[in-house]
Amino acid sequence: MTMFHFFNCAILTFGPHAVYYSATPLSEYDTLGTSVKAALVYLGTALVKLVCLATFLQVSENDGFDPYQELLKALIGFIDVAGLYFALTQLTHRNISQNHKFQAVGLGWAFADSVLHRLAPLWVGARGLEFTWDYILQGLEANANLVLSISLAALGSLIWLRKNKPKTLIPIIYACAGIVATMPSITSYLRRGLGWHFSKVVGFELFTSLVMAFISWQLFSACQRPYRCDAHCPVVSYEIPFGHRCKLQKTQIVYIYRSRGMTLAPRLVDLIG
Amino acid sequence: MANSKKPGGLREMLESMYSVIALLFILVACVELCDAAAAVDVYRLIQYDMSGSPFGSRFAALNHHAASLHFPPGVDLSRTVLIIPLRELNITFVREYINQKKPLGGLLVLLPEVLNFKTGGNKQDHEKEKMKNLLAELERLLVHSYIPYPVYFAFENDEIDTVLADIKKNDLMGQPATATTGGYKFVIPTAEPKKVATPTMTNIQGWLSGLKTDGDANQLPTIAIVASYDTFGAAPALSVGSDSNGSGIVALLEIARLFSLLYSNPKTRGRYNLLFGLTSGGPYNYNGTQKWLRSFDQRLRESIDYAICLNSIGSWDNELWIHVSKPPENAYIKQIFEGLSNVAEELDLKVGLKHKKINISNPRVAWEHEQFSRLRVTAATLSELSVTPELLESTGGLFDTRQYVNETAIVRGVKLVAESLARHIYGHQGKNIQIFADESSLAVNPAYIRSWLDVLSQTPRVAPFLSKDDPFVMALKKELAGHVDEVNVQHETLEGIFTFYDSTSARLNIYQVASVTFDLLLLLVLGSYLIVLFSFLVITTRGLDDLISLFRRPPSRKLKTA
Repeated sequence: MTMFHFFNCAILTFGPHAVYYSATPLSEYDTLGTSVKAALVYLGTALVKLVCLATFLQVSENDGFDPYQELLKALIGFIDVAGLYFALTQLTHRNISQNHKFQAVGLGWAFADSVLHRLAPLWVGARGLEFTWDYILQGLEANANLVLSISLAALGSLIWLRKNKPKTLIPIIYACAGIVATMPSITSYLRRGLGWHFSKVVGFELFTSLVMAFISWQLFSACQRPYRCDAHCPVVSYEIPFGHRCKLQKTQIVYIYRSRGMTLAPRLVDLIG
Repeated sequence: MANSKKPGGLREMLESMYSVIALLFILVACVELCDAAAAVDVYRLIQYDMSGSPFGSRFAALNHHAASLHFPPGVDLSRTVLIIPLRELNITFVREYINQKKPLGGLLVLLPEVLNFKTGGNKQDHEKEKMKNLLAELERLLVHSYIPYPVYFAFENDEIDTVLADIKKNDLMGQPATATTGGYKFVIPTAEPKKVATPTMTNIQGWLSGLKTDGDANQLPTIAIVASYDTFGAAPALSVGSDSNGSGIVALLEIARLFSLLYSNPKTRGRYNLLFGLTSGGPYNYNGTQKWLRSFDQRLRESIDYAICLNSIGSWDNELWIHVSKPPENAYIKQIFEGLSNVAEELDLKVGLKHKKINISNPRVAWEHEQFSRLRVTAATLSELSVTPELLESTGGLFDTRQYVNETAIVRGVKLVAESLARHIYGHQGKNIQIFADESSLAVNPAYIRSWLDVLSQTPRVAPFLSKDDPFVMALKKELAGHVDEVNVQHETLEGIFTFYDSTSARLNIYQVASVTFDLLLLLVLGSYLIVLFSFLVITTRGLDDLISLFRRPPSRKLKTA
């Protein structure tokens, strides 16, 4: 029954990505291409990080926590952030809203991370006779990583793509982005320096990922441009609805994608902003 | 950012990528990697046929769940391995299982660490007698029964103790061995045991020539000193036989060394030839000794004055026994016995005489001297055993390890035999002369005895599993060659009523497994988690209406062109 266990752990590790893609409007807006491009960018970033780690890092004999080495690893971890910047800004996306762009990039990023870091140990280890909780914990870690990646992508898109943000929120945004970006170093410190058990570390990751997701959601909403369906409609929305029926005006606003050769309705605000 | 790489670096990266991909393929190809909770060395019960009837454990491979003695009553054990430490073993329970042919998946007996000749040699043991008797009974039961499932022996260590404690805990809670945690699976992946094709017995003989003056036309008389060196026990990979018959071999080598010192100088060379024999096939009615004697020239056989066979002289206190088959009134027997008892008196120990008649029609040969007697050669066996051993008994079992052998006893035995031999050879019977006195250059060397005893106590010596050029047999030959003039090695096939099967030791993998119900439960939990996640995401991003509409009918999108 060990293939069964492998199957279970695989759906725990990779299922949420597929569920996220199909449940949210991402699937309707056909953002698969964006996710795939983000995954490829992640691959490139991982290779660059590998080369840098191999060049600059010394292999230590014991498994302890060496502050200097960890600092180096954290600095190299910022290459991740650079990769995310590249994926968010430099890749040409079809005209999808900013809202969906960061979700797609975050999803592709997290999926590539899971595949690269968790698929091989799963294939090799989970099919053996011996039962350990490790692979289930690893799957939970993949879930936490998904949430963290999407939060980081949201904060990243806020930093680089949103031009006019409320002044008071800017330091908070940068602080949160910094925390999320250094999460790998924090977890490795907890595991090696404090000697926490793997299950405790995973619990901590899940908790912080939910907290950071909530915070970045609030920040993102706070920076959103409000939209009205009509200049006189008091109803304000932050979403870009499809087939939205304005409750007050009882008019129907329809958004049509540029890519399909049709134009936006003229009185609608700039979506890309 | 990514454009500052040199083209050489790019090629390096590609190469490293290729190696990563290659590694990936190798990993994918590795279907099963060993990742057991524990791996233990185990030793199998002997498997043999005697006159066609099968005995011992008939299977070697194992792949079952484990249970301890606290298993819930009435449960079916035909696919379970029982793991029993020796101190909890109830011999009636095992006997009942074997005699009533109750089905069992396998049996693993845990022996105390003190018996492990590889590591536990120095530990003190306080329950020696009880353990010895229990082990002897267990061995006797297992060796003479037909057991249609694998039986293994292992030594207790920390790993297996924790596993056993876990198994006991689960059994006491009434959970069978297929629960989510604590369910252990024992796997021994070996092939079917095969017959040992041509088991060889190797007899080693050493010849020390006596002083032949010109006047002697006839051959000098010969005295033979013989000991059998192979063992037999319940676990052939553990049968080191320190006392039976490691003590005899060591004594023979020391006597050879002492007499080689005497015979090296022609002035002290005696007028007797000395024949040293290290025979094999001892447990099997001294088959090897018989073949060795049969290979002798008639003249040589007739020239043997008498033979002394050494058997288990390593753990006695004050009394040794001389076993003979000719009646004690026989002049030669009297001579031998008197010679030995005179020296014994001086050494402050007792020798007794035991007479056992040979029954020619009975193929059972209990002592080595009986093989000599059947060919009309006077012989006696010197041993600490007062009772005649049964077939396959006292041949180096599980209990016969190094710490239960007393080297002082062997030293005294060597002195006894060497002195009486020397007095006979040099004609000093009855005189109180100590040839091998302590502090002299001919003193018995306890360090020599100790070092050889240590080597023997770490070498299992079951004859069918010793090949023709086994390094230990070669070492014995080399050692004997250092003391005597001429060494001959004779290889014989162990035929007759015994057939043996291989696969004597293996590696046990202990896996902690989860049951099918756990996997199904996990699948259920994960399925519901994904469904909940899906609903949550749909509700938060698209609204509750969308979720409901997913289940009603295919969502119809009304397009209104602007």
